[in-house]
Amino acid sequence: MANSTFRIAWRNLGRNRKRSALACAAIGLGQFAFLATAAIMHGYADHYFDSITGPLVGHVQILAPDWREERAVDLTLKDVDAMLAAIRRTPAVVQAAPRLYAPVLAALEEEGFMGVVVGADPAIEGSASGLLGDEALAGLLGDGKVLVGRGLARRHGIETGMELAVIGQDIDGSIASELFEVAAVARSPVDIVNSTGIVATLTDARTLLRMGDEAHEIVVHLQDAEQVGGAVAGLGAAPELAGAEIKPWKEVVPQLAGIVELMNVYTLVILGIVFLASAAGIANTMLMSTFERRRELGMLLALGSTPGRLFKVVATEAVFLGLLGVGVGTGLGVLFAALTAGTGFDFAELGGQESFEVGFQGIQVASRVYPELHGRDVLAGIAAVLVTAFAACVWPMVHIARLEPVEAMRE
Amino acid sequence: MGISFGSIKGWKGKAMAKGGGGLLLVALCALPVAAQEDPPDAEALLERFDQMYESTGTSARIEIEITRPNKTRTMRMRTWSQGEDKALIVIDAPARDAGTATLKVGRNLWNYLPKISRTIRVPPALMLGSWMGSDLTNDDLVRESSYAEDYSAELVGPSEDPPGWLVAIEAKPGVPGLWEKVEIVFSQKERLPVLGRYYDRKGRLGRTMRMEGIEEVGDRFIATRIIVEPEREEGKRTVLTYLHVEFDVELDESLFSLAQLERRR
Repeated sequence: MANSTFRIAWRNLGRNRKRSALACAAIGLGQFAFLATAAIMHGYADHYFDSITGPLVGHVQILAPDWREERAVDLTLKDVDAMLAAIRRTPAVVQAAPRLYAPVLAALEEEGFMGVVVGADPAIEGSASGLLGDEALAGLLGDGKVLVGRGLARRHGIETGMELAVIGQDIDGSIASELFEVAAVARSPVDIVNSTGIVATLTDARTLLRMGDEAHEIVVHLQDAEQVGGAVAGLGAAPELAGAEIKPWKEVVPQLAGIVELMNVYTLVILGIVFLASAAGIANTMLMSTFERRRELGMLLALGSTPGRLFKVVATEAVFLGLLGVGVGTGLGVLFAALTAGTGFDFAELGGQESFEVGFQGIQVASRVYPELHGRDVLAGIAAVLVTAFAACVWPMVHIARLEPVEAMRE
Repeated sequence: MGISFGSIKGWKGKAMAKGGGGLLLVALCALPVAAQEDPPDAEALLERFDQMYESTGTSARIEIEITRPNKTRTMRMRTWSQGEDKALIVIDAPARDAGTATLKVGRNLWNYLPKISRTIRVPPALMLGSWMGSDLTNDDLVRESSYAEDYSAELVGPSEDPPGWLVAIEAKPGVPGLWEKVEIVFSQKERLPVLGRYYDRKGRLGRTMRMEGIEEVGDRFIATRIIVEPEREEGKRTVLTYLHVEFDVELDESLFSLAQLERRR
């Protein structure tokens, strides 16, 4: 019986092939649009997430109390070595980078300009998730040698080998001044370092600022972003970190965390649109075909078919239609993802402009995105269409239930 | 000179035209109380302010106490100034900052750092930044000479707290700077400035400046202690105290040069 239901449902779809093909196309297009958008959104979200939790912010930050709000040079973490040891003992921690920041007036000759001395550990910052992202560059630091951000260097004509004077305030509020040698002009993955950074070793920065075993922040990277909650709890339990602020990345950059959340909402909105397009396509097709078959349905009822059997036929027909459409759409979506995942998809080039990548509030925004299709999106699309198919059958079923066989056959 | 940052230089011309001179202002102090209660002229009051520190050549020793929530730092310095445009400040204490100097010529500021033997000009972008870590800005040191051009003055009326006369000076449209409006209260009796309230571009009170310890120095009365407190920043304060000051002294023009700045270690 099930077999015959499938056969009848399948044949019914073929009665008006144009109409069925159009409905299939509408559902397919919806599914394709959803998958392509979701893939692009995932690509962007991953890119944002990596650049947010990358070198600048990390997954978790250990901060001196009030440092984030006030940025005063004297608000430091003390006994940093003990803190680092405790952090590195915490499960899931991959890297812990202590950093110092000091706004300074810098000068090659007489003309002063603004900069920020960033004190960092070269052994850590040379890694892929470090501020420099280049081990060779990081290796140049030390003994009064600094790296200057490319943007800062370009604006003020700073070149390798030049002597750079800096004046700032030390931890006691006294005047801090030092002469540094520019070891290289560096392109950092972090925008703020590129535009204002004078990167020195932690030791040189501490000497300039007359600090001991101190730092303004420790940026912690974990094996996986999902481990943030556990890591924050683990770090909070370490006695060495008592008194320090322990902030997950979402609290450090809540506005950027909001962007990632917004992307998920956007994907859901697209899913909703697919839902509506499918519902309209399937409901219309099923209603039309039910109305057209009033006489036939009346006869089947008169011959002894139960309304339940007819419901099954209509529902199977709707599911076939939905699955056909969703199959086509999924095929196109997978094809799109496969074609663009490797090379990326450039919005700027699409509009005839040059590809770009700019930094904004410490995160990188690029015109090129690498779409990433998730299996759960395909399943979400299929589930949405199936639910819609059943929902779209309700009206035709009500119609069948109310059908008077004799009246229907007279038509 | 720069360190008399509270004064509103440049009003002299207008006030003098109204018939005021140094002698007249001194005479005002001796007038009966009834006459004192007549509303004064805003420009005459500002001129009174100018009179406090105006000099062809000033030499002073100053102590600046900078208070932060968890520490207090005291600096001592010598200052020389000529007219409104030239000033030199050399830090004597604490020892590790000794020899650090700031030279002002017109609207330019240079800092000399003895440790690295360098002189660096403060860029315009840093003018609103803190001077030597205090609650004064670099702009405070150079701004005064252009108040007359950039701000318009008005007598608001009597002030209750502290008692005196309130004068408001407001930035003219399109003038850049940190302060939109400055309210100055002049004492009822001496008609000397006792309080300054600085409002930022959003109309919020940004800092207050109290002038205390009025003393007679030569032929004038000056506030010997100036207290600057930023708003919304608890525990922060800068107190500037004149330890010694001489007005109308002869100063060599060459004192205010970069070469001199660098020789002066």
